[in-house]
Amino acid sequence: MSSNASSTKANPLAAKSGQPGIDPRGPRFGATITVVLLAIDVVLGLTGVSTQSGTTLAQRVTDPAFILLVILAAIFAWGAFAGIQRHPYGAIFKRFIRPNLAAPTELEDPKPPTFAQLIGFLVTGVGVVLALAGVPYGLVVAAAFAFIAAFLNSVFAYCLGCQIYVLLVRAGILGRKAA
Amino acid sequence: MDPLVIALVLAGLVAVATVIGLVVRGREGRVQEVNTFRRVTASELDTLERFGLSATLVQFSTEMCAKCPATRDLLSKTAFEHAGVRHIDVDVTSRPDIANSFNIMQTPTTLVLDASGAIAARIGGAPRPEALLHALAIAQKKEHDLYVI
Repeated sequence: MSSNASSTKANPLAAKSGQPGIDPRGPRFGATITVVLLAIDVVLGLTGVSTQSGTTLAQRVTDPAFILLVILAAIFAWGAFAGIQRHPYGAIFKRFIRPNLAAPTELEDPKPPTFAQLIGFLVTGVGVVLALAGVPYGLVVAAAFAFIAAFLNSVFAYCLGCQIYVLLVRAGILGRKAA
Repeated sequence: MDPLVIALVLAGLVAVATVIGLVVRGREGRVQEVNTFRRVTASELDTLERFGLSATLVQFSTEMCAKCPATRDLLSKTAFEHAGVRHIDVDVTSRPDIANSFNIMQTPTTLVLDASGAIAARIGGAPRPEALLHALAIAQKKEHDLYVI
């Protein structure tokens, strides 16, 4: 499998049906782990130094909430740039969870959840930058937004990151140029 | 920080996310009332496909759309099963003008056009099969209030 995000050009909608899909429960399983870790990060953020102003850089980068958010951002980046099929949570799902489940009733295109990982990376990345800059509550707010998105994915199977795509297309930020 | 405050923040986050999820789930895939009269032409959709003689299911999709392939299957199957009904899939990934023109806030979004090409119903998100049949009935019986001919 060597499907990079940039590899398809001509009518990707038509080409999709023949492509191998992913089990949609995989990304949902990953989102559940993310929900728990983000909730822990919100708690760490509220108890740590990220809510205070006037902290030193050394204090901020050694804050447990900051370290956890960096790890979460890195995992999102992994999913976004390596593709959802190579996501570490996906490997856990494949190895330990999926053998215990019935076969999936439908397969899903891997591109939307991969894009959603990118949105997750951007949101947590903003949190990391705000925390580095010493903006009080920046980390907590970013983690809270990411928590809501991951919660919607996990509990309601609603992919907020995927929905944002069409709005970004309309804003002219994303999308292919018309041929 | 007070542990009670932290607990309240977490509970609040869960509550907000749950409310958003329930609202989204309640709206998704259902028929929305269309209260403006608008007749759609093939050139507006930049398609060479012909419209259906009795109704047309216009699906708006993007590349990054988890539920578009399943919706495509449902709509084309529905069109196949109903005489005079056709399904048109419009990829707006490279056409923000079309997405803006029809105010597409999510994909898939489905417009159900009547025989004249007027928008009879709109369904945001993956259509529920029964909602799709209801929308089709609206379009074919010309029930919507603003139908002028």
